[in-house]
Amino acid sequence: MAKDKDQSADLLQGTLDLLILKSLAGGAMHGYGVAEWIHESSQDVLRVEEGALYPALHRLELRGLLSAQWGASENNRRAKYYALTAAGRKQLAQETEYWRRMSGAVARILQTA
Amino acid sequence: MSSSVLNRIWQRLRALARPKRLERDLDDEIAFHLAMREEKNRGAGIGKVEAGYAARRQFGNAALVKENSRQLWTVAAIETLWQDVRFGARMLRKTPGFTFIVVLTLAIGIGANTAIFTIVNGLMLRPLPISDPHSVTYLAFPHGPDNFDPNFSYPEFAEIRKETSDIFADQAGMIFGGLAGFENQGDGLTVDGKTEAVQTSFVTGNFFSMLGIAPFQGRLILPSEGTAPGADPVVVLGHRYWKTRFRSDSSVVGKKATINGRPVTIVGVAPEGFDGLTPLLTMQAYLPLGMATLDSNGKTDFMTDPKNRSLVVIARWRVGMNADKAQPALSLVGQRLFQQNSRADEMSTLHAIPLRPPGMTNPPSLLPRVARVFLILAALVLVLACINVANLLLVRATMREREMAVRTALGASRVRVVRQLLTESVLLSLLGSVAGLAIGVNATYAINALPLETELPIVLSFPFDWRVFAFAAGIALLTGILVGLFPAMRVSVKNLRGILHATSRGSTGGRQRLRSALVAVQVGGSLALLIVAGLFFRSLQSAENADLGFDPHNVLNLTTDPHQIGYDKAQGLAFYKELLERVRAMPGVKSASMASNIPFGETVTGDDLEIPGFQIQKNQLAPHAIYTAVSSSYLETMGIRLLRGRELTDADGEKASRVAVVNTAMADRFWPNQDPIGKRFFRTSDPKTPVEIVGLVQNSRIDQIYGPFEESFYIPNGQGSAANETLQIRTADAPDAVSRSVLDVIRSISPTMPVFGIRPMSRQVRGINGLLLFQLGAGLAGALGILGLVLAVVGVYGVMSYSVSRRTSEIGIRMALGAQPGQVLAMICRQGAALVAGGLLAGLAAAFAIGRLIRDFLVGVTPSDPITFVGVSALLAAVALLASYLPARRGTRIDPMDALRHE
Repeated sequence: MAKDKDQSADLLQGTLDLLILKSLAGGAMHGYGVAEWIHESSQDVLRVEEGALYPALHRLELRGLLSAQWGASENNRRAKYYALTAAGRKQLAQETEYWRRMSGAVARILQTA
Repeated sequence: MSSSVLNRIWQRLRALARPKRLERDLDDEIAFHLAMREEKNRGAGIGKVEAGYAARRQFGNAALVKENSRQLWTVAAIETLWQDVRFGARMLRKTPGFTFIVVLTLAIGIGANTAIFTIVNGLMLRPLPISDPHSVTYLAFPHGPDNFDPNFSYPEFAEIRKETSDIFADQAGMIFGGLAGFENQGDGLTVDGKTEAVQTSFVTGNFFSMLGIAPFQGRLILPSEGTAPGADPVVVLGHRYWKTRFRSDSSVVGKKATINGRPVTIVGVAPEGFDGLTPLLTMQAYLPLGMATLDSNGKTDFMTDPKNRSLVVIARWRVGMNADKAQPALSLVGQRLFQQNSRADEMSTLHAIPLRPPGMTNPPSLLPRVARVFLILAALVLVLACINVANLLLVRATMREREMAVRTALGASRVRVVRQLLTESVLLSLLGSVAGLAIGVNATYAINALPLETELPIVLSFPFDWRVFAFAAGIALLTGILVGLFPAMRVSVKNLRGILHATSRGSTGGRQRLRSALVAVQVGGSLALLIVAGLFFRSLQSAENADLGFDPHNVLNLTTDPHQIGYDKAQGLAFYKELLERVRAMPGVKSASMASNIPFGETVTGDDLEIPGFQIQKNQLAPHAIYTAVSSSYLETMGIRLLRGRELTDADGEKASRVAVVNTAMADRFWPNQDPIGKRFFRTSDPKTPVEIVGLVQNSRIDQIYGPFEESFYIPNGQGSAANETLQIRTADAPDAVSRSVLDVIRSISPTMPVFGIRPMSRQVRGINGLLLFQLGAGLAGALGILGLVLAVVGVYGVMSYSVSRRTSEIGIRMALGAQPGQVLAMICRQGAALVAGGLLAGLAAAFAIGRLIRDFLVGVTPSDPITFVGVSALLAAVALLASYLPARRGTRIDPMDALRHE
């Protein structure tokens, strides 16, 4: 229902959103955890400027793809935990599918060329 | 899912409403990240300071991040709200007819409530501007519901003060032990050679200090003042009066003035907003109680006469004391008063009566009960309006069912749909409340401007205040939410597939039943409103047609008061004598006379009587009658018929033996089946001199236009007091024509004589003491009734039209199978009739209940008046059936083929 104007404008943005959704597929995490997950699972190939993560998290929260809750962290600090909503899960599935097809197509094009 | 959506809306609104909270959350989140990163860096063997720097470097521009996030949140919050409002407004603009009807309906309901609540608020709820008003109370002997005897004599007042010092507290000075008294009167205040009639209050010295009132200018009456007759010649001006007569001129304080010709000094101005304690009346001047004894009304002994009861007594409770706890003590005090001096009603016990609502006026005020009735009627109108709006919204919701279903199917959450509908109805009710507020404020202006036809400083001042606005806005919002919620819930709870798959004419019987029930309630409510309006109208009619017992046409009234410029009794009588002689000689004057009181005027005088041979029944009041002091030719001028004996003449002067003319009511009560002529009675105010009855006149209306005729008698004005008297002139033509020349005559006899209340008797009859309240009641009830009727017709028409449109295909099939238009018509009308009949039954029951409440305000008509009940029911039934006939006829015009193809 809500239209996100930035989505088509910024490919990188879309990528970051997808990464965030994916990172939370395994369960709720705080922002730092998301950043760490992205580092680790991309074997540091994807170097996200960590600050940029937060506006992205908030945008996803506002779009209803993530839900957020304040809680105590592992070392007992006040931390904001993000989790996927049903809409978020759906979005992740769609985006993943899209990426698979896109990257597959791009790879084929590159091979045939 | 819906809870998460609600949660999101909530979060956005919170972000908007509490920016500090948002700020703190952003700070915390970033700080947490940096702390975690720093910890990790240190784990990798970097020093503490270095680790912090590294963490910040890796994070990037924290301020920018915060700024971006902050913007996201606030923009989103505004956007969502704005989006809903804009969409709602667009939907409303798309259906201007619907919007107009709903807003108008709500405006009427809210407007009626605002107006009536404003009046009730002004009259009854707004607390008096005195300190701790709840601990101040009147003392009185109740005579029945809403009826009190609030008057005490000065010796009785002193006795109460002595006996109750442990119950009542005083704020300052303990002179009266927490008890104060006042007595209202009309007097002439002369300042700079100009005399004006003023409403004065003679107060005990502690009056102001006990109420906790501070002067606006100068000083108020002091606790030490007013204890001796004639001492302390000072006057305090009421603020409102000071503002109008002296244009808020402070230099007036300290000036010499006269009250009824006696020198006084203006010492101060009472605070703004304090108009005295008498409901509706504004006190224009306050004097010490002792000054009242100088009055030429023959009251010189009033501080010692235990039976001269004219003081209203107020008291302030001691801390921790209240009416319940004090009642045993008060009862004892009451009994003591009875023992020392007999009182009219010995069965009653002394009671404390709260200042608000103002039940305490003399005669007792019906205001609280009138207010209650009109609040009920206004609430009924609002209920009808809400039902109407609910019905309209239900129809609309039904029509938009598919739209909503489609939107939901396309991914709009249920909550979003509900919110959309709610936004729309709240928007509608806000529009309605703005319009209603305008209607209400204008209606109160109209009431403020009513022609009261009285010289009393009655202030119908109902200023707009925030409570009224809060009331209206509250009603509007509640209406919007209640009315909007129901259809919204129904739409969202609906089985979407059902709606999407069903044909456009799918049946929703449950909702149809609900709407029918709502319309039946509407018909019932409007019947109740109409019947009440009918009762008020019938009662106005009978009041207007009531036999007044005198002829109000072609009579001019004009009041003068020689006493206000210091004339003594002899001077006053001489003035009146010359005035009468010269007026009677004027062309166009058929007869002229003087009277101490006029019908429906400001004052009524009465006296307790002792009647030889008349036995007072137990539990009965002492004989009492109202009297008027009149000059010769009075009966001719007023057109009152003399039945037996003679009328009063100029020969019945001060030196002659005391005589009176009585009316039939008085003769029948005290001398039943006897000839009253030649009988004697005694007045308690002058218990030693017998009064002989010399004439009998027909009954006439004096201070009430309704109810049984009061016992009353007339005495020659030479044998009464010479205070304010009204010149009454019966003219050949329009009475206004002579007023200028009469004024010239008065000026030539006494240039400074105050003259007021120049108006024809026929207008006096329509004033506040006469028909005004009946007209007001009938007008207000009529307006509410018509609103109810319109709402009911719209309701019936709407539900029937809707029903016909839903049944288009059914009707088509019936007609295709051979049903005649007449049969179809009958079928649909039967449905309408059932609706109306159910409503009428409920309405009759409600009308009976309300009728009982207004019983006391009705004149010449019973609260279950069959003509009103049957007539109004028939009218409403006819109109309602017509409203259902029109859609029914449209139903019969349906072309069967069209209808079937519709599917």
